[in-house]
Amino acid sequence: MATRKKVLLKVIILGDSSVGKTSLMNQYINKKFTNQYKATIGADFLTKEVMVDDRIVTLQIWDTAGQERFQSLGVAFYRGADCCVLVFDVASPGSFKSLDGWRDEFLIQASPSNPDHFPFVVLGNKADLENRTVSTKRAQQWCQNKNGLPYFETSAKEATNVDQAFITIARNALAQDTDVELYNDFPEQIKLSGSTENRSSGSDNCAC
Amino acid sequence: MKDAGVTSYRDLKNMIEKNREVIYSNDMEEQQETATTALHSSVDNITIHNPIVNLSITEDESKPSTSKQQIVHENIFDQLKGNNKHIFVLSTAGKPIYTRFGNENQMASLFGLMIALVSVTQDSNDTLQSICCGHTRIVFLNKDPIILVGVSQSAEPYDRIKKQLTYVYNNIISILTLTQLKKIFHNRNNFDLRRLMSGSERLIDKLISFTENDPGFYLDSISCLQMPSSNRDKITQTILTECSKIKNLVFGLLIAQKHIISIIRMKKYSLEVSDIHLILNLINSTESFKTAESWTPICLPAFDSSGFMHAHISYLAEDCQACLVLLTIDRDLFFLLSDAKRKITEKMRRNDCLQAINEAIVRQPLNLARANIVGLRHLLYKNKNRSQHWSPPFTSPYNTDTLQQNLMSVYCSLISQMNFPGRTLKVIYQQLTAETMLAWATDDVELYMCFEPLVSKECATNAITKLTQWMKKEEDSLFIFNIPMF
Ligand SMILES: Nc1nc2c(ncn2[C@@H]2O[C@H](COP(=O)(O)OP(=O)(O)OP(=O)(O)O)[C@@H](O)[C@H]2O)c(=O)[nH]1
Ligand SMILES: [Mg+2]
Repeated sequence: MATRKKVLLKVIILGDSSVGKTSLMNQYINKKFTNQYKATIGADFLTKEVMVDDRIVTLQIWDTAGQERFQSLGVAFYRGADCCVLVFDVASPGSFKSLDGWRDEFLIQASPSNPDHFPFVVLGNKADLENRTVSTKRAQQWCQNKNGLPYFETSAKEATNVDQAFITIARNALAQDTDVELYNDFPEQIKLSGSTENRSSGSDNCAC
Repeated sequence: MKDAGVTSYRDLKNMIEKNREVIYSNDMEEQQETATTALHSSVDNITIHNPIVNLSITEDESKPSTSKQQIVHENIFDQLKGNNKHIFVLSTAGKPIYTRFGNENQMASLFGLMIALVSVTQDSNDTLQSICCGHTRIVFLNKDPIILVGVSQSAEPYDRIKKQLTYVYNNIISILTLTQLKKIFHNRNNFDLRRLMSGSERLIDKLISFTENDPGFYLDSISCLQMPSSNRDKITQTILTECSKIKNLVFGLLIAQKHIISIIRMKKYSLEVSDIHLILNLINSTESFKTAESWTPICLPAFDSSGFMHAHISYLAEDCQACLVLLTIDRDLFFLLSDAKRKITEKMRRNDCLQAINEAIVRQPLNLARANIVGLRHLLYKNKNRSQHWSPPFTSPYNTDTLQQNLMSVYCSLISQMNFPGRTLKVIYQQLTAETMLAWATDDVELYMCFEPLVSKECATNAITKLTQWMKKEEDSLFIFNIPMF
């Protein structure tokens, strides 16, 4: 397939409540930050166009709610994602421990065709905080154990590493989006068996 | 949770399932409550980042933001509001496939919202069919792995929008086959179907216009090119003679713009009207067929959605703009069909068929004035046994597109009333401000007549007899009665 013009990638952002998923989005797309916390209700959808190498890519970003009660939103959230971003708060060990759960939940719900090589990107957010409790080393270790996932320490507040992280997200999602040729093969020839004449007897006789 | 050195994906799954049990049994009491509230609240809890809708997280609502992202959204919604009828197609992953207006890339978030609505209802073992909001109606057609959404702002009935969506779905199937569509998404549920659809969006655009304007869509029927039946028979016979011996040829159609001239078919196989509409749309939307003979795969969903038919498509001659479509199941038949077509044209030139077709194409269509019925302005006549209709050209006062479209929607609502499932109506008389309408049906005929506003019931019903008598005289040339088999 030579039509490489339009690329749209579905990116889903997961992580515990208040780790800063929405803040990262807001920083990335609107270049804004607020200290106020407004929990995401259900999910938010955002669109962003980026250049990856020489291609224009549209990111369809699904910013989900971390709160437990919204986890029933259904498999559609996970299905067909091209990249999954796992976010934790470097000052919250609990949110770091949850990463396993988020990752596994994603793999089950989305059931990607190649789970071992599905592109996840891990973000340790709020790196600006003094009182961090999850060390860089520990986070890197975890990513290493998961087939070497890319890891970024970000601050939505100070806009550190946010753009870099999203470029990696887009690039890795794009790499996943390889052009598979198998759709060119023709289905088998139709077999003329039986008749179609009386098939539509139920529907109002609209055949010629 | 500790990294447990998982080896395979199945192990992983098992592990999660076990862990889950533990988690759930720990907070059983809470679990039940959250499950129900989440389902109820989630539909209106999905928001789309947009300053106009104003449901989103904005840190300072008093100060409108001017960032680029938000401006894009504003434009999209303005754009969408300006059009009456929208059709969107998306994958069940929420990726855009088609939009009638605007740029689907910029609407990626809107598509996300649509899939969320569908998904949430699905999760509670229900199916989202439509949402009404004032005059706006949103209809969902879930054809996993794709979803079609229609939005109409003119109080169109649910059934009609749903049928339009079904037509769009059929058009996508005709390009890919259902087998391929399923296989693609089975292999990769994140697939961007636009890759395989590119170039075909225009076909869908045209098909949607067809469903808005053509009585054939409402009546499930086709319209024929008017010509003396002796001429038509000669044409059909010429095609039949050349084609009847070709193995695996299933159908042949001769088409003049929106009208059918003749049809031939293989014994035991019939061509459904909805498939013919797709073929007509393909022919009338593709200029390149006029300059070269073409060989194209096309799936006819009503006939067999699992595979491709192969169509040899060509106009008869430079000096005869009727399009011959020969449909076979055999993909290697091009040269044979090409040869058959050449012979058909030669023969038709010799026996004056080409000339007969040309005359029929340029002839003034039969005018209703000839029926001489006082107060009758326009009508739709459907021969139910043949699935064919006839309708005269619009005359005064229906001189503008808007007036014609208004009349079409009056017809349309009459048609749905007459064909309401589980009910058999024979006559409807309706006095409207701009016209008086009469619908009438028997086992064989459906008739919709449009009169001047003050025509009485008696006058209108008397017109039925007069008109049906007149039609008896004319119908030989208006309909195709002979569809030979081979
Ligand atoms: N210091 C600091 N605070 C941050 C940073 N990112 C987010 N916050 C704050 O953390 C809180 C939660 O941020 P959100 O972005 O709303 O969190 P979320 O992950 O979207 O939460 P849910 O929507 O409930 O899932 C807010 O008060 C933010 O101001 C950061 O990088 N540094
Ligand atoms: Mg949030």
